Amino acid sequence: MARLVRTEAVVEGRVEERFALVEDDDTPEYQPERRPLPLGVEQPRITGWARVSGAARYTSDIRLPGMLEALVLRSPHARANVTSLDLAAARAVPGVHAVLGPDDGILFEGGPILSSEPYYAGAAIAAIAAGSRERAEQALVALSPVYEPQPFVVDLAGAMERQEIVGEALEETRGDAEGALATADVVIESAFTAPAQVQHALETHCAVADWRADGLTVWSSTQGIYEGRDQLARAFELESDFVRVVCEYMGGGFGSKWGVGVEGVLAAALSRAATRPVRLVYSRREEATVTGFRTPARFEFRLGARNDGTLEAIDAQAAVEMGSGGILFPVLEPARSLYACANVSLMVLPLRQNLGPSESFRAPGVMEGTWAFEQAMDELAEALDVDPLELRRFNHTAVEPADNTPYTSKRLLECYDRAADLAGWAARDALRSDGRVRRGMGLASQYWWGGGGPPAYAEIRLGRDARPILSIGIQDLGTGVLTAAAMIAAERLGIAPDRFSVKWGDTSSSAHGPGSGGSMTLASIAPAVRAAAHTVRSELLELAGTMYEIAPADLTLENDQIISLDRTLARPITDVTSHLGDASIIAHGSRGPNPDGMTVNTFGCQIAQVAVDTLTGRSWVERVVAVHDVGRVVNPLGARSQVEGGVLQGIGFALFEERVVDPTTGSVVNAGFEDYKLPTMSDVPEIVCELLDDPDPNLPTGIKGLGEPPIIPTPGAIGNALSHALGVRLREAPYTPRRILEALA
Amino acid sequence: VIPVGRLGFPESVREASEQLQEHGACAMGGGTDLLTQVQRGIASPSVIVDLRGAGLDSLEHENGALRVGAGVRVADLAADPIVRERFGVLFEAAEHVGTRQLREMGTVGGNLCQRVRCWYFRHPDLTCWLRGGEDCYAQLGDHRKHGLEPGDCISVASSDLACALLALEAQVSTNLRERMPLADLYRNPSAEWRSNLALASGEFVTLVTVPRTPDISAYERLGERGESSFALVGVAAARFGERIAMAAIGVSNTPRALAPGNPLEGLPGLPMTGWKRTALAALAADATTRVTRAPES
Repeated sequence: MARLVRTEAVVEGRVEERFALVEDDDTPEYQPERRPLPLGVEQPRITGWARVSGAARYTSDIRLPGMLEALVLRSPHARANVTSLDLAAARAVPGVHAVLGPDDGILFEGGPILSSEPYYAGAAIAAIAAGSRERAEQALVALSPVYEPQPFVVDLAGAMERQEIVGEALEETRGDAEGALATADVVIESAFTAPAQVQHALETHCAVADWRADGLTVWSSTQGIYEGRDQLARAFELESDFVRVVCEYMGGGFGSKWGVGVEGVLAAALSRAATRPVRLVYSRREEATVTGFRTPARFEFRLGARNDGTLEAIDAQAAVEMGSGGILFPVLEPARSLYACANVSLMVLPLRQNLGPSESFRAPGVMEGTWAFEQAMDELAEALDVDPLELRRFNHTAVEPADNTPYTSKRLLECYDRAADLAGWAARDALRSDGRVRRGMGLASQYWWGGGGPPAYAEIRLGRDARPILSIGIQDLGTGVLTAAAMIAAERLGIAPDRFSVKWGDTSSSAHGPGSGGSMTLASIAPAVRAAAHTVRSELLELAGTMYEIAPADLTLENDQIISLDRTLARPITDVTSHLGDASIIAHGSRGPNPDGMTVNTFGCQIAQVAVDTLTGRSWVERVVAVHDVGRVVNPLGARSQVEGGVLQGIGFALFEERVVDPTTGSVVNAGFEDYKLPTMSDVPEIVCELLDDPDPNLPTGIKGLGEPPIIPTPGAIGNALSHALGVRLREAPYTPRRILEALA
Repeated sequence: VIPVGRLGFPESVREASEQLQEHGACAMGGGTDLLTQVQRGIASPSVIVDLRGAGLDSLEHENGALRVGAGVRVADLAADPIVRERFGVLFEAAEHVGTRQLREMGTVGGNLCQRVRCWYFRHPDLTCWLRGGEDCYAQLGDHRKHGLEPGDCISVASSDLACALLALEAQVSTNLRERMPLADLYRNPSAEWRSNLALASGEFVTLVTVPRTPDISAYERLGERGESSFALVGVAAARFGERIAMAAIGVSNTPRALAPGNPLEGLPGLPMTGWKRTALAALAADATTRVTRAPES
């Protein structure tokens, strides 16, 4: 029996209400006394060979017969009125098949994509589809736009003055923070300024659209095929089944590719107008200016404590530079929920500017919020003259502090202990010196969601060769989720993960799966995969029981064999499946809801050791210890690579990455890799990764997400380590030689 | 983006000179700088003359002198065992150029003739003073990575090889001039001459000569990350007997000779670049220490 349930899911801190069709599920829980192989055993990615050999097909690789190339006319001004635009001249360029302008009314999520009042440098005005890129470039020139520049705001001071709010300001209080600050033994005040970090996916945003009478197909570099389908259906008022979204492989997204995006809708509109397939691939400059960024923010904290270390009051304010729009992410969540504190006052002001819209970036809000708040906590520890780690242990909370709900599981204290041991925290002051190169060690805690939830479905087919086909409606953001999904099924079927054929990334061939965001893909899909695999297993054992005249309950599946529990029988699974002929065992699984009244979080602690050359201002990270509590670890190899990637991206935020906007023209001046620096291999420190691997007892399969947690504490740990090394706190990231030398001057 | 009209593939210096007579023609080595300018629409040559087949790719040693053809790839310069052993500053500088892929493509001549670093100069939507416009946007706006020397333009020269070769007292030859001091390849831009290169129309570098081997030499450099970035500041030093020659990049429009005793002389800094003085002083001291330590052999 199936029933429709209403459930809540937390996506990047936002509670979403969803309906899910949940089927009865008799899949037994994992037995705690025995490791459910192959879970916990390192498994190379099933897509690894395709990726490294070049066989993997990315969206920008798609070439369809008759396909056109698209380009977008973008404003060079931070704000302007377009007083003249020669669409007819562009249409007259030979080889041009479609020209769309502001009057064509192409909408993305309700807002016009093409505008004659461009609101930021890079805003789209018109779009061209032509037989070649060169023809499209000619048509762009033929448009001969004339601009009337308008006043604009691109910095925080101007935005504060203008006070245009994106969405709503956020205010939340519990207790009486002002009163508690007045009576606290110790009060610290501190402020931090976080930079705009740009996602910079190596495969830029791109789409290939093919609009035909019988349906619209869009190949998209996306982290949400189903979200993309729905965006297209809404944009063109289509039935969702008219739309098919495909994503085989993608070259990074980090939050900025939720759905098919503006580029997907634009490519579809051009394809409809041209009656030909259209490919739109953004340039690196477009990637850097129009596809999103982690919001810069100014944080101001006042923390009050008793002399014994009890955190009595948190007053936290943040002014967030949203650009021209975007979602306000929970920048003050760490201040709200990381520690026990009775009196908390939070205020967030999301400010509009004449810059591209902001977009989710791996642990949006929480990473930069942790960077700032965990440094304020270190300043409180200094004021109290206590060890920063002790202060955190002392103010640990066993329940969610804002609403007092219990956690499904929380092992943060163990993370602190393990991280301290692995990093040599107790001896950290021995690192310090007065020499030219100074060393220091700092820590930060990690708090995030990641419990996953419905709706998520899986289908498994098993035929005569015992090579199961696992079909799931997700995409691989690059996390290795497909390999983990195969491992989940492999555990039930006793068939090695590399014998699976996994089908993914196509809304027309798999039922709904979650978007790859909020660290929820695996935690959402795994229970569905396991349920489907369990049903296949049951049917296979039924057949085997009949064949071997043994009760199915006395049989099990492992190592590609059917084995009797008394070990007298061991036959290849194909011994049974070969009798299937052209028949298949087919089963479905679905994801049930998480428990009501409980909070699902992941936790962790990272400790960074840094070195600084005080004469040149160069700093580098020598070692990062990362200990995280993320529930069951399915594939330790994939999990470790997630941690390494997160740490490295956190190092980028701390040391190198920052979008720079010219105050005079409002234009981004480092919209490319010449001046926007991502970390490279030479910046990778020793990374010691340890995951507690403790299944969450209250979640199906015990799995929680790991995509975002590892980036969250890295910058804060580096900031605290730098302060430990230098005796001076840097209030602005990234910690470039300029900022370090200016702080030391 | 302005499409490139034509390409020329001369097979000799003479042929190259002829092709570069055309108005708007531009010489190209590996293309690693020029093509990025073309892509951004900040350079629009009528014809690109590819010098790689013009016979400029010899690397020779003779009586302690080093002769490097302008077409020698940066990677090949770095791979030369004698350069590595005897001209340490040049080897280290070559190893720091760009990325491995860029070193495989880029040539010595092209590296010396790369245009200045300035995110306004290279911005596709802006026409700065150096490109013939009215304003030096950098001085009005964000010049945190710019030079230490006030002027009409505050962009910085960033050729690691030029820095090393200046300290090595190298000479350059072009298709029009023989063995001039390397410093003469550069000039500060002016209202009438909006370029930091002192090359006449149709002129291109053919050969770099280092007349003698230094006793010891060293390159010190501050980048934006562990590898693969332009130098924020680079300092080259070479010792010839008692005399030390020093040069820096990242501090002014041209690669600049430094007075070993007073490296900050003439470099007062600008509102956002004072920090570079500290770094320059440190790198100059480090380079000096390395070249005064002991003779190399």
